[in-house]
Amino acid sequence: MQLAEPLQAAIEELSKLPGIGKKTAQRLALFLLKGENENVANLLKALHELKTKLRLCARCFNISEEELCPICQSAKRDDSVICVVEEASDVIAIEKSNEYYGIYHVIGGVLSPLSGIGPDTLKIKELLKRFESENIKEIILALNPDTEGETTALYLAKLIKPLGIKVTRIARGLPIGGDLEFADEATIGRAVSGRIEL
Amino acid sequence: MILSSIHLKNFRRHRDSYITFSDELNYIVGGNGQGKTSILDSIYYLCTTKSYNSKTDGEVVSFNQNDFEITGSFKDLTQEEIRIYYSLEENKKHYFQNSKQIFRSADVIGKHPVVILTPNDHAISQGSPADRRRFVDSVISQASSLYLKNLLDYNKTLRQRASLLSQLKEAKNKNSLEQLDAWSEKLAAAGVDIINHRKRFINEFNPYVTNAYKKIMKEEENPEIIYQTINNARTELNANSFLGLLEECREEEIKRGSNLVGPHRDEFVFEINNINLKTFGSQGQQKTFQVVLRFAQFFYLKEKCGKTPIFLLDDVFGELDAFRSGKISSSLKNLGQAFITLTDMANFSFLERSRCDKVIHINKGCVSYA
Repeated sequence: MQLAEPLQAAIEELSKLPGIGKKTAQRLALFLLKGENENVANLLKALHELKTKLRLCARCFNISEEELCPICQSAKRDDSVICVVEEASDVIAIEKSNEYYGIYHVIGGVLSPLSGIGPDTLKIKELLKRFESENIKEIILALNPDTEGETTALYLAKLIKPLGIKVTRIARGLPIGGDLEFADEATIGRAVSGRIEL
Repeated sequence: MILSSIHLKNFRRHRDSYITFSDELNYIVGGNGQGKTSILDSIYYLCTTKSYNSKTDGEVVSFNQNDFEITGSFKDLTQEEIRIYYSLEENKKHYFQNSKQIFRSADVIGKHPVVILTPNDHAISQGSPADRRRFVDSVISQASSLYLKNLLDYNKTLRQRASLLSQLKEAKNKNSLEQLDAWSEKLAAAGVDIINHRKRFINEFNPYVTNAYKKIMKEEENPEIIYQTINNARTELNANSFLGLLEECREEEIKRGSNLVGPHRDEFVFEINNINLKTFGSQGQQKTFQVVLRFAQFFYLKEKCGKTPIFLLDDVFGELDAFRSGKISSSLKNLGQAFITLTDMANFSFLERSRCDKVIHINKGCVSYA
């Protein structure tokens, strides 16, 4: 069946979003069509502001409203420690823990020759530049523990260590409140090899 | 572990077949192309989420149908129902354990250990090193999910690194060389785990092979599997020596644009009385070795998984002489549950049968019991 063109276009656009398939996109489009005009206007406004008012922080590439993000601007943060993460969503995750008081650097992905992502595609040069202008004592690598994430961590460690800066990687192991018996073998294996003395 | 029944819908020749099984030996009898092997394949599907003789799931769907479904009832300590549903349109498989969907195949492999002996096994002793690695990997993966995860991680690293090497081959720049070091380090870390695991496995597995040779085939010869990897010492390998070898081959790897060092190039040499089986073994010795490997796998998995594997024998007796067939047949008794395909019961008078065994006739995808 041929759908009305504006509806078809809306479905196509919505289905480009991550996690949204054709059917969900159709449901969303029909929902918006049936709903109040005001709702659609609010959504449009929010999306528009998302794109116009936000940009990447000039220092750490986190999401920001101003030149520098609130974390980089804050006087309370320890700016001798940088936590390197893949995406801005990882900053949100770590910030929620309220355990980290240093600053960040978002590299925007991981090395993946198959997808054509090399060091030049990532914000690695920018990270190295920060060592010249800032007084950095430690780098914490908080990349995902998958094949590409681990390799990117190894790559960064190789680049940074010769500069005399301490490089650490976040610990991996059992989730808090989790049951040992429910953890998978790989996680338990890692947790055992990375055990700490009490 | 026992498979008590299976229900097939649109699975190859089986439009809608419900079959109940004996706890011991099940003889599946029928002419060529009637749907015997499909039954073994469907059991293999339930245990591993994969077919053992089709490359894609789509091939398995009956002609002019859009989906297939396999439902099996397992009896272990409790009853368990496993269901697999696949539709051509989605090109996606859904795996359910007691109506609960399981999303990762790594969570399934090894839960229902299975051993299969097929005519294709000739590739294990006579085929390429890749065939032998596949055999070894499939045995270890069923016994250790950690190994399976390492292997998947290693293979992913290999693909990424190969891509980088071919980029380096085309255009050299220094930035990529530093990146290559990082991939090498990752490859070494994952590769060392695999090599050391394979070393331990071969040491453990060899006695099972010797045992099966003596007890089942009643042969006096001494079989042995010899593992050849990047260091041939019997000692554990460490990541630094792996990295050293990568360093030595670096120029060559870039020149060829591919991974030249690592467990993906390992070889397992089968020997009988210290003589290479692949080169010097007779057809009979080859066949015996293939059967022995599967029996060894059976007892190894039984010990490691703490569950008796299901034994599938696809058209095995057709290629063996009556003497060897008789020995296999008598070894199958008291082993556990086994499924054996035959073209014609009458030709196999040597088979030792007991009252609990079941004979299932398959004709054009329809089932009857003798």
